[in-house]
Amino acid sequence: MKAVWLAHHLRRQVQAHRWVILAASAAFCLLALVAGGARLGSRTVARWGAFVGQNVHLIVYLTDDVDQERARDLAELLRRVPSVAQVTAVEPAAALARFSASATAFGLDGKAMDGLEPAYFPRSLEVRLAPAADLSERAGDLAKRLRPVPGILQVDAMGSGLARLSVWVKLGRRLGAALLAALALVTLAALAAVFLRSRGAVARRAAVLDQLGETATGIRLPTSLWMAAAAAAGAGAGALVLALGWQPLVSRLERSLGIVTNAPFPALGRADIAMGLAIVLLAGLAMGYFATPLPRAQDRA
Amino acid sequence: MVLDTVTLGVARSELIVIEGAAASGKSTLLELASGVRMPDRGAVWFAGRNTAGLQRASLPFVRRNIGYYSSESLLLLEDSALANVMLALAVRGEAPAQAEQSARDALALVKASDLENRKVASLSSGQKRLVALARAVAGPPPLVVADEPAAGVGDEARDIVACALCAARDAGAAVLAATTDAVLADLLVRRGGRRIHLEQGRIAGAPAMGLVPALTPSPTPGENFQPRIITLKIDDDEDSGQDEALPPATRGPA
Repeated sequence: MKAVWLAHHLRRQVQAHRWVILAASAAFCLLALVAGGARLGSRTVARWGAFVGQNVHLIVYLTDDVDQERARDLAELLRRVPSVAQVTAVEPAAALARFSASATAFGLDGKAMDGLEPAYFPRSLEVRLAPAADLSERAGDLAKRLRPVPGILQVDAMGSGLARLSVWVKLGRRLGAALLAALALVTLAALAAVFLRSRGAVARRAAVLDQLGETATGIRLPTSLWMAAAAAAGAGAGALVLALGWQPLVSRLERSLGIVTNAPFPALGRADIAMGLAIVLLAGLAMGYFATPLPRAQDRA
Repeated sequence: MVLDTVTLGVARSELIVIEGAAASGKSTLLELASGVRMPDRGAVWFAGRNTAGLQRASLPFVRRNIGYYSSESLLLLEDSALANVMLALAVRGEAPAQAEQSARDALALVKASDLENRKVASLSSGQKRLVALARAVAGPPPLVVADEPAAGVGDEARDIVACALCAARDAGAAVLAATTDAVLADLLVRRGGRRIHLEQGRIAGAPAMGLVPALTPSPTPGENFQPRIITLKIDDDEDSGQDEALPPATRGPA
């Protein structure tokens, strides 16, 4: 098929199927929102992990006389406790840095923290417990056992605080996955409806072109091209919505939840967009290809 | 078996009228000639190639060079009559401007110029048939095959149909028309068409096997010989197709 006729057929088909094309674009836009949203959502949760997902169940504050070496020994002792999964020593300087970052994120004036020194922050050990259903009880038991240990100033069992928040994040992840799956199903159903809606008209055109001696490629190419273009346009619109809307949405959510983190804001990278575009183009081409049934040899006679 | 032993050659600028009772094999013969159907045995030589031996993917390159009209001819209902006629020329690879002019000429030939811009869906069945006939003769292609071209277009349109087929013939096409309409057959014969009669899958008066010399121009040097566009040889021997090759622009892959 000559390029000029291909353009002619494309123009005719776009005129004839403009509602189908619009529906296909909308379906692919929804698909892009679902897929891109899932990807960004996953990255956002990972970003929140810096705040929530440290999964710190216990914070053990050490007395001033405990030096770095003694703190390492205590950490090593804690690691031997069966229910403990990870122990991290937090030096006073690191604690001050964290505090400053949080305060800045909350909008506090930096000058207010000028007078703070690392020495004001006690050396501490952050303890993460192995996953279990009774995490809060375990954290409480361990805190009770640790408090009398020499060198330990205070033990803060986080079981009713951040650990609980961590559980909520997990629940949110599951609910989000279910919601995304439902949206994906709706999108696929919409795409199937578009596919079936266009099939009748496209099939007649294919039969006419076949009768006139057009090749299978020539018959299928225009439909595949407009379907791929509709897919790319829809997915592009979806990506644009995510690019413009995701950050403000998550920022508002983080402010309302009081989540503070310095981790970089998640965004769709070039690789994500290139891969998504390739996938939707291929999907559009495939939909166009399969929406164009060629007459069987026995049907011609 | 619908066709028994049929050997038939059609030359450039030749019009053959096939007559015969219902179920005598006329439509099958035309379907074989137009590449819509392949013979169980025998050969159909078109433009130097035995189409019966071609791969399926190559058949469109044969079909696009044949203007085929039958009551089963499909049209795009949402497109205009002009767009429908242009479609055949587009498939043949003509330039859009030239295709548009040829399509207008073809519609004028069947006295349907006033239908050019009307959607096919809005046309009567007789008008649709005229548009389909215009599509078959537009160009014209090297071979025009018309199965019952006057059926369903009304008595007064017989002349139009005959004119269109003769115009295609005069423009150099080989024309094969099958009809049970004796009036149309007489009209075509009066205008220089050659009449053959098909009976129970055989050409009446032809021997059971072998060529029918009267139906194929003899390639004797010195005579005004027109090479055959198509030769149908429905028997066991597949080796006697001596046909004209198409110009390169309309030829398909080997």
